Amino acid sequence: MSKEYFEFVCPVKMVAGFRALEHIPFELDTRGSVRPMIVSDKGVVGAGLVDIVVQAITSAGGQVGPVFDDVPPDSSMDAVNAGAAIYLESGCDAIIAVGGGSVMDTAKAMNIMATEGGGDPRRYAGYNNLKHRLKPYIAVPTTAGTGSEVTAISVIKDTDAGMKTFYFSQFLMPDVAVLDPRMTLKLPPMITAATAMDAMTHAVEAFTCLAKNPLSDAYAEAAVGRIAKWLVPVLQNPDDARGRLELAQAAAMAGIAFSNSPVGLVHALAHTIGAMYGVHHGAANSIFLPYVLEFNLPASRAEIGELLFHLAGAEDFAGTPVERRAEAAIARIVELKEAAHAICGLPRTLAETGKIQKEDLPKIAEASLDDGTVVMNPVDVTFEDALAVLERAWGG
Amino acid sequence: MNSNPDVVDTGLSPAAGRGPAYSIQRAYAGFMMWLISRLLQAASAVDPVIRRDIDRLPDDFSFSMRVRSGSPSMTMIKVGDRLRAIPSSARPQAALVFGFKHVAHAFLVMSFQESTPRAFANDRLAVDGDFACAMKIMRSLNRMQALVLPRFIAVRALKAYPPIGVVEKLGLAARIYGRLLIEFFKRD
Repeated sequence: MSKEYFEFVCPVKMVAGFRALEHIPFELDTRGSVRPMIVSDKGVVGAGLVDIVVQAITSAGGQVGPVFDDVPPDSSMDAVNAGAAIYLESGCDAIIAVGGGSVMDTAKAMNIMATEGGGDPRRYAGYNNLKHRLKPYIAVPTTAGTGSEVTAISVIKDTDAGMKTFYFSQFLMPDVAVLDPRMTLKLPPMITAATAMDAMTHAVEAFTCLAKNPLSDAYAEAAVGRIAKWLVPVLQNPDDARGRLELAQAAAMAGIAFSNSPVGLVHALAHTIGAMYGVHHGAANSIFLPYVLEFNLPASRAEIGELLFHLAGAEDFAGTPVERRAEAAIARIVELKEAAHAICGLPRTLAETGKIQKEDLPKIAEASLDDGTVVMNPVDVTFEDALAVLERAWGG
Repeated sequence: MNSNPDVVDTGLSPAAGRGPAYSIQRAYAGFMMWLISRLLQAASAVDPVIRRDIDRLPDDFSFSMRVRSGSPSMTMIKVGDRLRAIPSSARPQAALVFGFKHVAHAFLVMSFQESTPRAFANDRLAVDGDFACAMKIMRSLNRMQALVLPRFIAVRALKAYPPIGVVEKLGLAARIYGRLLIEFFKRD
């Protein structure tokens, strides 16, 4: 047997809490930046969130360069090129991304071109094809789910090539991630629930899949505990700034966890129905999570059982026999799904998405086996296995 | 077991880290890559399960498996619904690359001390290229190993041993090894 081995990286400075945005001028100054470009999308700009960030900078005497708000919902290579061109023409010296996963991913790829001075961004696509640090990059997430503010990955839709282009390099990681509850206070309950369950899935899969390690475990456990505690209170009281902050921190922790212990079958299935039917990624993860955990029980019973402590608290954990903790943990996740469904209508099953026909399940099962995340699932997945999970997830 | 508490047991043999050990590992990994590429070529000709996956790869698809330093390596191209081994120098820019960080990591996997999924999980092996294609190649490699290796060895290489009947396995394995021998002698 080979000896245990793991790798872990997270050089991102976390700036988290109330009035966190007001720390941005200091972070820019210490990186020698005087003219940052802001990357966002029209929805975020329309919600007034970019204005809040700009005010936080200018009120301290800082400057802000152009605001690029043409990032589409699925990112795009065109947006990467257009944004990089504006950055270079405007003499900017840093990037601040204000938005969700698509905005943050686009800004990462834009930063490659901003640093390299233009050219074809596809040249740097792939695994570890960047050889040096990029321009200062500050990520300000406006959802609490993707974790892109702490990951080394960027996925960009490339319409010309008819595919998604994948970038992986630790140099893509933001220098700073700013978590301020003002950025997520106005998120609609449905998106709040879907993105929180996305983060929950990141943490649970990081904790149960093959690359789990002591450091990713620590972040995953902390994230699971926070989401289990704060999801329902925030859905019941969307103006709860403390709860919003807890969820944002949990999403970042889950991001650190899955960036160092990649996800498994839940994501393979969610990626597939997202690409084929446009089902929201977080909602899809939420639907599949308990059914995949049931499927993974033969290999991951102990790990899933450990999560009960964070999902249900010390008393429930201590009061549950060891051999029933895994099932109790799964049941607790189902409870969270039920609560989210009751409060904001988050779909619990594939049927409830209203976007998928039952006769399509074999097609989904086959396509999901081509998703790279299957490799990290603790249990080997065949077509029959994937189909069985999909059928369980169809009607609950 | 290490009985001396003052000495850390690294799990490494005394020869590990010395030049000759790496040379042996490089030679062994090189031989195994040669053998794997020929066995996969033969398996893609006789096994309908593998051919189905290969058929769905893009035309002119190529992949290589190599140690990051560049050697040893193996490269294969898609021809119809089969794979053919070619010299790595003939296609230096393969569409898909399975890269081991170090020859010692390739040795771990190819000597069945570490499964392929575990090598990915331990960051010793990485994919550069399209993941959908990579999954088809990995499934083909897994299926080929399940067919040509004795079960007690195959279970060390795979996450799960697939449900293949003994008769089916022996029949396909005989045809794969037969093709390997024919190709070997045809070449010479």
